[in-house]
Amino acid sequence: MTKTLTHARKRLLRWWIAPLLGLALIAGIETTGAPKASGVSVPATGIVCSHPDSNNVFKLTARDGQISTPDDNLVYMWSFAPTGGGFQYPGPVLCLNQGQTVTIVLKNTLPEDTSIVFPGQDNVTSSGVPVSPVYQGGNLVSLAQTAKANGGSVSYTFTAGQPGTYIYESGTDQDKQLDMGLVGAMVVRPSMGAAFAYNRSDSAFNPDTEYVMLLSQSDPALHRAVERNQPFDMKAYHPHYWFVNGRSFPDTIAPNNAAWLPTQPYSSLVEFQPHSSDPGNPFNKPSLVRYLSTGPVTYPFHPHGNHGRVIARDGQALQGPAGQDLSYEKYTVAVGPGQTADATYTWTDVDGWNPDTKPIPVAIPPLANLLFKDNATWYSGSPYLGYKGPLPVGVTSYNECGEYYFMMHSHALYQITNFGIAGGGMLTLMRVDPPGGC
Amino acid sequence: MTGNWNDRRFTRRAALKAGAGAGAVLAAGGMGILRTGGSARAAGNGYTGVKGEINLIATDGWISLPDPRNPTKYFPDGYAPNNRTTYLFGFRDVTSMVQAARTATGNPQLIATDVAAIRAQKGKIQASAPLIYVDENDDVTISLSNLGFQQRPDLTDGHTIHWHGFRNALSLFDGIPEMSISVPIGRTFPYFYKPHNPGTYIYHCHFEDVEHVQMGMTGVVFVRPAQNKAPIAGHPGPYAYNDGDGSTAYDREYALLITEWYLQSHWEDAHIQQPDWSEFKADAWFFNGRSYPDTLQASSGYDANGNPIGFADPRLAYQPISALIKGNAGERVLVRVVNIGYQQHSITLPGLPMKVVGKDATLMRGRDGTDTSYLAETLDIGPGEATDVIITMPEPSGSPYDVYPLFDRNYADGYLTKSGAHAGLRTELRAYPAGTLPAQTTPNA
Repeated sequence: MTKTLTHARKRLLRWWIAPLLGLALIAGIETTGAPKASGVSVPATGIVCSHPDSNNVFKLTARDGQISTPDDNLVYMWSFAPTGGGFQYPGPVLCLNQGQTVTIVLKNTLPEDTSIVFPGQDNVTSSGVPVSPVYQGGNLVSLAQTAKANGGSVSYTFTAGQPGTYIYESGTDQDKQLDMGLVGAMVVRPSMGAAFAYNRSDSAFNPDTEYVMLLSQSDPALHRAVERNQPFDMKAYHPHYWFVNGRSFPDTIAPNNAAWLPTQPYSSLVEFQPHSSDPGNPFNKPSLVRYLSTGPVTYPFHPHGNHGRVIARDGQALQGPAGQDLSYEKYTVAVGPGQTADATYTWTDVDGWNPDTKPIPVAIPPLANLLFKDNATWYSGSPYLGYKGPLPVGVTSYNECGEYYFMMHSHALYQITNFGIAGGGMLTLMRVDPPGGC
Repeated sequence: MTGNWNDRRFTRRAALKAGAGAGAVLAAGGMGILRTGGSARAAGNGYTGVKGEINLIATDGWISLPDPRNPTKYFPDGYAPNNRTTYLFGFRDVTSMVQAARTATGNPQLIATDVAAIRAQKGKIQASAPLIYVDENDDVTISLSNLGFQQRPDLTDGHTIHWHGFRNALSLFDGIPEMSISVPIGRTFPYFYKPHNPGTYIYHCHFEDVEHVQMGMTGVVFVRPAQNKAPIAGHPGPYAYNDGDGSTAYDREYALLITEWYLQSHWEDAHIQQPDWSEFKADAWFFNGRSYPDTLQASSGYDANGNPIGFADPRLAYQPISALIKGNAGERVLVRVVNIGYQQHSITLPGLPMKVVGKDATLMRGRDGTDTSYLAETLDIGPGEATDVIITMPEPSGSPYDVYPLFDRNYADGYLTKSGAHAGLRTELRAYPAGTLPAQTTPNA
């Protein structure tokens, strides 16, 4: 049943006009206490790290704001913003080094108490005492000491013991506050260095192609109720939006800090070049995708184009007691609630198809006899990587230089919709450029 | 490396030359429900699989679920023809019909839509889609012809084939309408593959995916390993993977494709209504497009004109793939459990350990060769995942066979039939005394 996402397509066209490989100006996502470094550039795609300030402190503010969805809806959200910066969803990506001791100072401007828990971190303290659950009248109300509503604050301190990918999230009224958006990603670099995911030589990756994909969802009815201070029965909870890094497709592939997504700074477009026999090719090291799920269900995340190699789960390298390699290739990585998984990706031109020397042995019908949905395509007009061919008159091409595009998406397919309309939601793209780039 | 390439048009004749030899293998008549051409078990070591061109059609149709004790507005569907309950989209295999027409006319360039008997299959899909199996490193072409919908002539949907999990895919053959092309009504497109990695995969349409997958355009495709052609001494094949040690050798094999349907959306598609896909809520569950107790019926097929034959129950004429698992004591039975539904499932076989030897078309081995296979009685399997298990058949205590139920641990995944049976994700494994069953000739037989 053909439906057209008019607004979504307009968005797409808008972003495709912007140069993909250009740099986007940073827009208030510094989380350090230091003055905002205006003009600092971040790459269009890939991880955007926030680092602690010179006192090893991250300053965050729990606050409200709005995000936009590709069907031109606005959803009221709560999230962790850099103190002094604008609202953003999800919270900033906190990057630190193994062994580093950091303090997170949380200020709360929300109308109810909130907190942060750091699953996977040991010996977290708050104002010098161990983080511990909070009870009121015998009821568990928070998994950690809270910052009181309407201006309270709290701090947490820990030493990042083990490298890996971790969630930080509200520990208070979680089924409401996590859906409202109080979530973020944290990356701990191993002592072996930032070119490794873990302290194993086989966890080396290409640092230029490192990605975070925080998977989440939202029921806009809950958010509307919270905004209007009305009650909401969680038994009636039913999600209608699904996100990668707080965006739904096609917004997911817009660059980091896209101007038209002012509260959703993080791209999830994956982009790399083929693995090759050239020993100097930096893409012989794989790309790394750090998956995190903060939703209440398991997301079966499926990349097209190639398997991923799952090298770690929940910040633990997959290895045996004697260091045996227990990593595995999967075509679907199931990321459960509160879990993380690290997977590496490459793409290899295995058969070396070439229009002159090794043509694909089937007759491709004239493209005018095929269907280009909505008269637009990412296809180059040629099946060969790095080649372009003529497309039928009237078909808009988003292709630059014969690169390939593959989907990466939840395979619970109702989750790749925007409020029920196909072709949205928890979906992003993997772009394989020709050797040498565009 | 970047260059302009002037659209090089290969002739169909050149393509046929490339696929030569393959056609002969496929010319066998009596086209089964499974993509069985050339798959007869060769003396000694295993199957030869399919080479060359496989012809699929895409259309719509009606299938049958066990009658519910409590009918609803949506189920059974009031539009359904006699003996049927539910509207679907899907695929059919017409390879041998195309081959026969090419032979009869002497015209090797005939395509599926040239053949009147194939055009007459509009409105007659099967659930689940044909089981396809091929050999590692062979050239494989799946030619997809879109016949349009019988029930919904107002819809002009395209269709595609997405080979789910194909490593190092080419974007043109990855089957994503937005990333390349889709096949409009009345036209045919050759999806080309050279599979280099053995194991169990899925294929499905990716056009308006949440709808077309839910509506039934899903099937299993698996790749047989090169090791079948160079067997391991002392461990006769065939094998699930290139294991190097015979640890994945098996005697019989079965594929179980899990789907679940949101029956309201099927009714709405038949009745020209617009489903809200974010409201997905499953209410019927299937192995190979059949709900228990239909899962136990034998596999059936089609005649040379595409009409169903060999079915035990006319209700199941277009649900031809059995989910019943059988074996003789001591035999090793490979079961490929595949989930292309939208829910996580927990498939259990109480009393018999299953050895998990592969997942997602990957042998259970670390990069350093560490064996990561394991024994399980329950398989946790999510949407878009596949798990390969080998079960060693026990000695039966009774006659003529012992029954081991294989089912979804979530008993709520089902509904009560008129006769009080639990319709859903449930089938059986039957253990016979050694030497009872003849050698298996096709999967799921």
